[in-house]
Amino acid sequence: MSIEKILFPTKFRELAFDALETLFVLKEAGLREVLLLHVILREDVGFVPFGGYLKEEEERQREEARIRFEDWQKSLSEKGINSRIIIRVGDPVHEILTVAEKEQAGLIVVGRKKRIDVEDSFIGSYTHKIITRTKIPTLVSKYMVQFQWDDATLTKVNGNPFEAPLVVVDWTELSGRVVEFLSGLCGAVRKASVFYNLDADTLRGRSESEISRIKEDSLRKLQSYCGKLESCGMEAQPHLGAGDILEEILRVSRERKSSMIMIGNTCEQHFLDRMLHRSISYEVTRISELPVLLVG
Amino acid sequence: MVGPYSADLGEILSLWSTLPFIGMLLSIALLPLFAPKFWHNHFGKVSVFWALVVSIPLLSIYKGVALHDFLEIIIADYLPFIIILVALYTVSGNILLRGTLLGTPGVNTCILAIGTALASWMGTTGASMLLIRPFLRANSHRKNRTFMVVFFIFLVSNIGGSLTPLGDPPLFLGFLRGVPFFWTFKLLPHMMTAVVILLTAYFLMDSYYYRKEKVKEMPVDKKKEPFGIEGIHNLFFLAGIIGAVLMSGMVKLGEVKILGVETAVQDLIRDVLLLVIAVLSMMTTRKEIREGNGFTWFPMKEVAILFIGIFLTMMPCLKILQAGEKGELAFVIRAVREPYHYFWVTGILSAFLDNAPTYLTFFTSLLGRFHPGVGGQEAIIRLMNEHALFLEAVSAGAVFFGANTYIGNAPNFMVRSIAEETGTRMPSFFGYMLKYSIPLLIPVFVIITLLFYS
Repeated sequence: MSIEKILFPTKFRELAFDALETLFVLKEAGLREVLLLHVILREDVGFVPFGGYLKEEEERQREEARIRFEDWQKSLSEKGINSRIIIRVGDPVHEILTVAEKEQAGLIVVGRKKRIDVEDSFIGSYTHKIITRTKIPTLVSKYMVQFQWDDATLTKVNGNPFEAPLVVVDWTELSGRVVEFLSGLCGAVRKASVFYNLDADTLRGRSESEISRIKEDSLRKLQSYCGKLESCGMEAQPHLGAGDILEEILRVSRERKSSMIMIGNTCEQHFLDRMLHRSISYEVTRISELPVLLVG
Repeated sequence: MVGPYSADLGEILSLWSTLPFIGMLLSIALLPLFAPKFWHNHFGKVSVFWALVVSIPLLSIYKGVALHDFLEIIIADYLPFIIILVALYTVSGNILLRGTLLGTPGVNTCILAIGTALASWMGTTGASMLLIRPFLRANSHRKNRTFMVVFFIFLVSNIGGSLTPLGDPPLFLGFLRGVPFFWTFKLLPHMMTAVVILLTAYFLMDSYYYRKEKVKEMPVDKKKEPFGIEGIHNLFFLAGIIGAVLMSGMVKLGEVKILGVETAVQDLIRDVLLLVIAVLSMMTTRKEIREGNGFTWFPMKEVAILFIGIFLTMMPCLKILQAGEKGELAFVIRAVREPYHYFWVTGILSAFLDNAPTYLTFFTSLLGRFHPGVGGQEAIIRLMNEHALFLEAVSAGAVFFGANTYIGNAPNFMVRSIAEETGTRMPSFFGYMLKYSIPLLIPVFVIITLLFYS
């Protein structure tokens, strides 16, 4: 399953083009077309109190977006990637999801491309709504980020997210789909780390021999995933973690110098559901300084 | 219901105190036309500016009395007004009509008739929001769509809302002052006259263009989607809104003081119920339904911001009018004498200013003229019994004439905005009046005058 079509919505914020450039490598994995989408906020041009609609303002914004996109298209074309410009008026989340469905996009790329305030969340309101509503694989792109590690503030540029992803698995059907999705990215991915975590509940009260058996069993399953990935031509290494899963994902991703985290999308749409069922994929996306690719 | 307003301040306020109100209304009328971008970005500041211009001097000079009157207009008029709008807007925004309708003259006339009938029960804003997108979708294959949207504004966004206080904001303000819920049904003959003439005119016009456009039965690019209503449970919430408003008009549970303002307990219960209904409607309806309607809070935010300015600046004007012959606006009361005067003057001002404050101004002027110094509720009962025709004229004028311009009623600009967004060319402010409202609506209003007010 390769990504043939990517939906790249943008507000033309700083580093948006740099983030787009990081996707060019997917050409090697079968990428054919990038849909460049800009949504003009309905509130910016419509509902002028007692006035109506700012048609000229809409046309100005359309023209600006078109000129910027045309410039981007040159770079895409040089790489042999087709592209199309889509400019719509409306609610960004609704338009992104509608276009993605209609065009049958294989990947949606969202997220702020630059975060220099460590207090800010990696998940803005639009990203939140998209990742909690779509089943289409979604990359939460984080091109340039500042983050805290051992009381130090570090800056990181995620210039090649597909180079060495960390794949989080838990033997469910969903994590099978994540591995399946990754195997479609051969040519773009150099080395993958496949990670499974043994949490405290699994280990609690078990004898040493039982733990040893669980470890062996887990490693065997990890190895089978790795074998699948290696058969597609990418390097793959199994990694086993133990303890708090979030901390472990962050630790391993840093130790292994991963370029991205791939995980099954279990983000809950409703606040109450999120409160009741902690979604690991949501938390990883929120906390990790790496781009996160969520597969639904 | 609202407690009696003190007429004292109205007897001593001079005309200058009405200038901020005029400034506020002129800002609404002129800035969207001549500086739309500035207005779009700064309307909130304009509203706050005029509110401060009126409140700072009055509070400095009249202190506690002015404060009480400002609080009274906010608590008794502004807040219930915003709450009912929010409730109706939310509930109707959570109902989505799906399906492929083909915009033939017959189908279009039916949609307009249904919208007109619904407007009195879900508000002109609610009915417009529910039907404008399906109406535009049904006619997306048609070449001439402008006149369709214009008739939609005439009927669904304005005239249809004349039967109940839920229909149009001016009538709800009247209800808050003590006009019974079903009293406005007296406008049924007036409304039916306008509706029959306009729907006939619409059908003839649409038939003419339909033939001229040589429309095929079903455009090839149109994918057929079965007809359906999503979020239909919101009809129960709509019934809940009607019930809550009716309850507040029928039950008397005493009064409580809020910040020194006497407020009826049943009105507080109504407002709480309306808010609960709005929240329940949001919680029980899928986002996709609202998105299908292009639902956004922005229009409500605009109304809330603009109307705080309108209500605060309106206070001195209302006070002076309420003082009747003793106030400085006595010349207005003396000049407007006959019911048809009230119909046309309320109407023309409603067309160019917002119809809600205009209604309240002339409603108050009637009280000042016929029952000066009489307490609020008693004066209103006497007005309805002894001079009902005057109140009918003010009510019909405020609701009907709102259709004459884009600025006459809030849904007009919302419908225009949605139509333009979806590619329907709409006439300019003056084009709308010269091509449509003057030739089509004014003769209808002349007929209504001859039939009911002469």
